[in-house]
Amino acid sequence: MVKRLLAAFAFVLLAGAPASAQQQQQEQQRQPGSDVADDLPAGVAEEQITVSSTYGGSYITVFGVNPDRRGRGDIVVVLRGPNEPATVMRKSRAFGIGNAFGLWVNGDPVRFSEAPAFFAVLSNRPLRDIASPESIWRYQLDPAASAQLASAVPAGGDPSAYRAALVRLRREQGLYQWYATPPREGVRGGLTAYRGGLFRAVVRLPANAPIAQYHADTYLFRDGRLISRQRIPITIARIGVERTIHDLATNVSWLYGIVTVLLALLAGWGSAVLFRRP
Amino acid sequence: MIYLPIAEMPVAVLLIFLVSGAVGFVSGLVGVGGGFIMTPALLFLGVPAPVAVATGASQIAATSFSGIMTQTRRKAVDWRMGMLLSVGGIVGSSIGVALFERLLRLGQLDLIVSLLYLLLLSSVGFLMVRESYRFWRGRPAKSVSVLRRPLKTVAHNLPFRMRFPRSGLYISVLPPLGLGFVIGAISAIMGIGGGFIVIPAMIYLLRMPTNVVIGTSQFQVLVISSLIVVLQSIATHTVDLVLALLLMAGGVVGAQIGARVGAGIKAEYVRGILGVLLVAASIKFLFDLVVPPDEIYVLGAGLW
Repeated sequence: MVKRLLAAFAFVLLAGAPASAQQQQQEQQRQPGSDVADDLPAGVAEEQITVSSTYGGSYITVFGVNPDRRGRGDIVVVLRGPNEPATVMRKSRAFGIGNAFGLWVNGDPVRFSEAPAFFAVLSNRPLRDIASPESIWRYQLDPAASAQLASAVPAGGDPSAYRAALVRLRREQGLYQWYATPPREGVRGGLTAYRGGLFRAVVRLPANAPIAQYHADTYLFRDGRLISRQRIPITIARIGVERTIHDLATNVSWLYGIVTVLLALLAGWGSAVLFRRP
Repeated sequence: MIYLPIAEMPVAVLLIFLVSGAVGFVSGLVGVGGGFIMTPALLFLGVPAPVAVATGASQIAATSFSGIMTQTRRKAVDWRMGMLLSVGGIVGSSIGVALFERLLRLGQLDLIVSLLYLLLLSSVGFLMVRESYRFWRGRPAKSVSVLRRPLKTVAHNLPFRMRFPRSGLYISVLPPLGLGFVIGAISAIMGIGGGFIVIPAMIYLLRMPTNVVIGTSQFQVLVISSLIVVLQSIATHTVDLVLALLLMAGGVVGAQIGARVGAGIKAEYVRGILGVLLVAASIKFLFDLVVPPDEIYVLGAGLW
């Protein structure tokens, strides 16, 4: 137990989280309960990720300890971006002669409410072996779980095909990630379990991931049931020039537009003067 | 690499600088604005279409202002005509920006932009190749056709006529207003200045003398592109200042080098090569529209 506490303490220090709160949670953990406890000891290495002009993506590391003394159960870590509406369109041939020739044209957009803008799920073995399908859906361990259809699907369309396409396309963009095995040699990203119930989850955050408030959710499943969990906020924020420009563009957009035009005039004037031929 | 604050993507500074420099080089070499090459180039680099179109307008503003400074010294700007074209253009580009936003929401912006580019690049490219081919065959016929322009056009018969001393014209104000409107709307949707459409129209439709045509069109392009930058900033938040600065820097330097190199080469050959490139680019647009795609589902623009 002492060893366990020491290990947790070390990780908490690494994570920079308030140690006393974490210890308190461990105290609570000792009382066995049938309900899901919000007390899984975990922390993140980077509570704030800053986006400057050299930003090219980042890594997020989640540390924690399996509170089960005998190390039973499976840890699942989910990194979520904000939920935002998304649209998916299906291309079809139009203006063609029969089916032989024609332009590929987007059909009516299908809207989903509340699709996560970023989603990564990490586990040591396939998720379906860890949690029941109901749990996966209920605790939104799948990005499609929160994506509710918010508009009509064009005639003859299949809503589930649109949902699957949303997940597939976002996965290709690196915005939805699945890690079901421990990380391979030389590859960063995945869930690693250590002795004593320690675990470390590393997620690659691509540069195209939205700049917003994220959450790292850690779950402990045993026999298909959720035992314990923990939610940690992670802020991704612009700093410096990036921040100034973005704030200007969103808050005083007319001024931003005028400044851009003035800079353009300055560049044009500068080139005309600089390269003037006698 | 530098992270673009509005496009929310990292780009290679050198690559953007080289591409905008190359586009500037071509525009300086041939004497065109370059917007109709810059926007597709940005799209090929992976910049989202709304950002490419809106940000490209700021580079067009820089190039046209540089041109006006030269033309003003030569007294080659018909300010009164430019104002009229601009008034039409202001209305046209406002409607164009609104249409742009509407098309984006409907998911049809890519199609419309692709079709317009297909039409534009293939027709301009074809005309350039034809002109160059005729020159190569030793029959440079069309370049003197300005002299054979019709003596009176519809512009001379419509009401609300006005005097344009610098152009030596007494014509109706309606055709310049209408022309400005069309160019403004096309500029807003396609991210082009529209000089290569407005210049022939000025010569053949309005019968303006060729020496004031370029300066006057540049004035109109400057007003419209500046307005588009401000309108897109407000309506769609798609103007990326960092990308704009990179494009301006590359474009301005490239244009000056292009203009100097161009002075030593027969313009007709340069146009022929550019024409071939434009036709090739338009074939690529056609190809993308016609060939069955690998993935028939697409994500809507995630900028809203």
